[in-house]
Amino acid sequence: MMDRTLSIEPVSFTKSDIAKYPFLKETARYLSPLDLQIEDLTSPSMHQILDRAMERVTSAIIDFTVRPLIGAQGNRYIIKNPEKEIISFPVAIMLVSATDNSLIKKRYALAEAKQATSELNSESKELILKIALDFGWKITLAPFDSAFEFVLYFSDFLQNASHLHDAKWKLINSKLSKGDVYLNKHDVVRLLQEEVKRRIEKRLNNTPIDRYPPEISELAEKLKILAAEHIGQAETEFPKVVVQEAFPPCINALYDAASKNHHLPHMGRFALTAFLVNIGMSPESVTELFRSFSDYNERLTRYQVEHIAGERGSGTKYTCPQCSILQTHNVCKNRDDLCKRIYHPLKYYKIKSEITTPSQSGKLGESSQLKSN
Amino acid sequence: MSSRDFVYSKFTEFYNNSSTVIPAPSSFEQREFAYLMFKERFMVRHKRFESMQVFQNVLARNVPSDVYHSCAYYESPDLEMDKKGWIGSDLVFDIDADHIPTSCGKIHDEWTCQKCEFSGKGITPEECPICEGDKFSAKTWPCDLCIESTRIETGKLIDMLTKDFGFAANELHVFFSGHRGYHVHVEDESVRSLDALSRKEIVDYITGLGLSVIDKDTKEKPVKGRKRAAATKKFNLHDYGWNRRLKVGMSKFLSTATAEDLKNLGLKNKNLFKNKDVILKRAIEDGQWDLIPGVSVATWHKLAEQIKSLESANIDTVVTTDIHRLIRMNGTLHGKTGLLKIEFPAHQIDDFDPLTQAVAFKKGTARVLVSDAPEFRLGGATWGPYKNVKVVLPTAAAVMLILKGRAEVAN
Repeated sequence: MMDRTLSIEPVSFTKSDIAKYPFLKETARYLSPLDLQIEDLTSPSMHQILDRAMERVTSAIIDFTVRPLIGAQGNRYIIKNPEKEIISFPVAIMLVSATDNSLIKKRYALAEAKQATSELNSESKELILKIALDFGWKITLAPFDSAFEFVLYFSDFLQNASHLHDAKWKLINSKLSKGDVYLNKHDVVRLLQEEVKRRIEKRLNNTPIDRYPPEISELAEKLKILAAEHIGQAETEFPKVVVQEAFPPCINALYDAASKNHHLPHMGRFALTAFLVNIGMSPESVTELFRSFSDYNERLTRYQVEHIAGERGSGTKYTCPQCSILQTHNVCKNRDDLCKRIYHPLKYYKIKSEITTPSQSGKLGESSQLKSN
Repeated sequence: MSSRDFVYSKFTEFYNNSSTVIPAPSSFEQREFAYLMFKERFMVRHKRFESMQVFQNVLARNVPSDVYHSCAYYESPDLEMDKKGWIGSDLVFDIDADHIPTSCGKIHDEWTCQKCEFSGKGITPEECPICEGDKFSAKTWPCDLCIESTRIETGKLIDMLTKDFGFAANELHVFFSGHRGYHVHVEDESVRSLDALSRKEIVDYITGLGLSVIDKDTKEKPVKGRKRAAATKKFNLHDYGWNRRLKVGMSKFLSTATAEDLKNLGLKNKNLFKNKDVILKRAIEDGQWDLIPGVSVATWHKLAEQIKSLESANIDTVVTTDIHRLIRMNGTLHGKTGLLKIEFPAHQIDDFDPLTQAVAFKKGTARVLVSDAPEFRLGGATWGPYKNVKVVLPTAAAVMLILKGRAEVAN
């Protein structure tokens, strides 16, 4: 790997930079002399800040943006009140945390990340580099004679690119050499968006406050009501009965193999069980179904099924692996046209069950096993 | 003495011998340890030890058939899974002859249908040809060709890890697994925190999955009227990552390929063979892929597909993506062979001979009744083939035959 220490310039960010990118480490340094406490937020002097924080979250919920307060200075737009902008960010984080609502958290993190992206697109390479370095990325500017603008270490690339679905973000299609991925500015900005989103999500899920002042709780309630109107349902709705005709080809292949009592590799067994539990079959029905395939270890099967359904261990309900994971482990079979348009077996089921009439369903084992919980 | 007792006594000697050195894995106190009890056949898990010395005493007392440690680092490795506090994990690769086609065709492996007891040699079938049962017991064998096949795959993996991923050869820990394969561990700080999804991307890279230039979804037959647009779609390769590998692989392949090789590939285009030198120069060196008369985009795709399968490495996909995996511990015995898992420098992958270097039991002989064994090489000598004979063999060979279910101690 290249020596990265040479290009790091110890230049700190301007106040306006921090206002635009309040998720930077620098923000903490800026805020610490103010020594803000949660109780201060409800004091009259903080009203403006609280209003702006509320506005950030509200606009994130309603139209996916956090719209910075800008004013014209000459022929360019600048942030009108950088202090207010900077302080309102951690306050907004606290408000969103107080909602304890995963949809609001996701939406807010995405809106902040997208806002940052729109700003970053017009920034210089040097500032983009500085922000990436603030995140701890191993990154440098590409040499002048290179066709690229940035050189990023592969592990930092992966942490962000692995969540993107387009084939161009797969490591195998990247310009990898000696551990470095060669990228242009637009690519780096896109990866930074993922990083910002992840970081904000992490902060939102990591607040050690268990009791908020009543005023804050009230605002959080308001946000929840707003979210219910604008974000929609938490859980994807699946049909009340199991529609086997709507199973994706991979699940059908696993189901066939299991019903013939063939050996399933761990990943296949996990995918099949998690799929059935997630489309709404009860753990009892799934265990019952495996029992109907004769030769099996009931105690072990029941344990595994209940574990995947979140009724044992940590209580986490496991979701079925996404398509790309099933491809890696050679569980993806007989891809069809619909497969090419989706990234997840559950999405396939959702779409196909909507176009499959319920009367066609009902072949899955005995009728008693068909009921979902 | 029963055969099992004989092997147990040898394992006991090994773990109690003061000259047995088991290297401690890095970050020792953050690792989970586990071992399979030799006689009782249960797995002791979720163990933490303060030092290798303490652990070695435990091994000497308990005499396991197999010893493992976590690839992961935990805050509390001795707590149950959900409470361990995952800190990170080594990036680990496993190449095992069980999972890959080998040049020997596994003719030395034996399978027996558990339902009707019909048995045969070679790769275990999906279904029993007699009763259609699908549960088998298998007797495998770590033959030279099996190990050779895994060595080739490991060599390709090491090449990718150094040239593409930028690890220095001395940052790669390469091991013979003790059975019929290799392990490669990367412990670098930069990979420890990678999540399962990132590791999956590394697996896809190593196995060649999802390469855009030859992806099925991008070379589908065009609908009527759009034929021309598809035909003019260019084939092109840049000089990084897998694109570079394809170029190098094509050069290598074309410079030695015969007309027959190309035909076997389904490349019926005679031009490809006649103009080999032109192709090497104009396309691969100068990037003028569309200027080779008679070589279409589809032909390039076919050739690239072939090169991809030649150049990718056949690793166990589950091992690398599992961030809580247990892996056999360096310097301990493999319960299926009595051979050691043993580390050697990455650059010695072509020369290191596991069947001499991994031998743990170097002293003594034993008289065994061998039911059936192919000719095999171990500890610098060649033995067998044997069929229902009593022979006196060096301890290592006797232990291996017994563990492989092919011999009993002859009293």
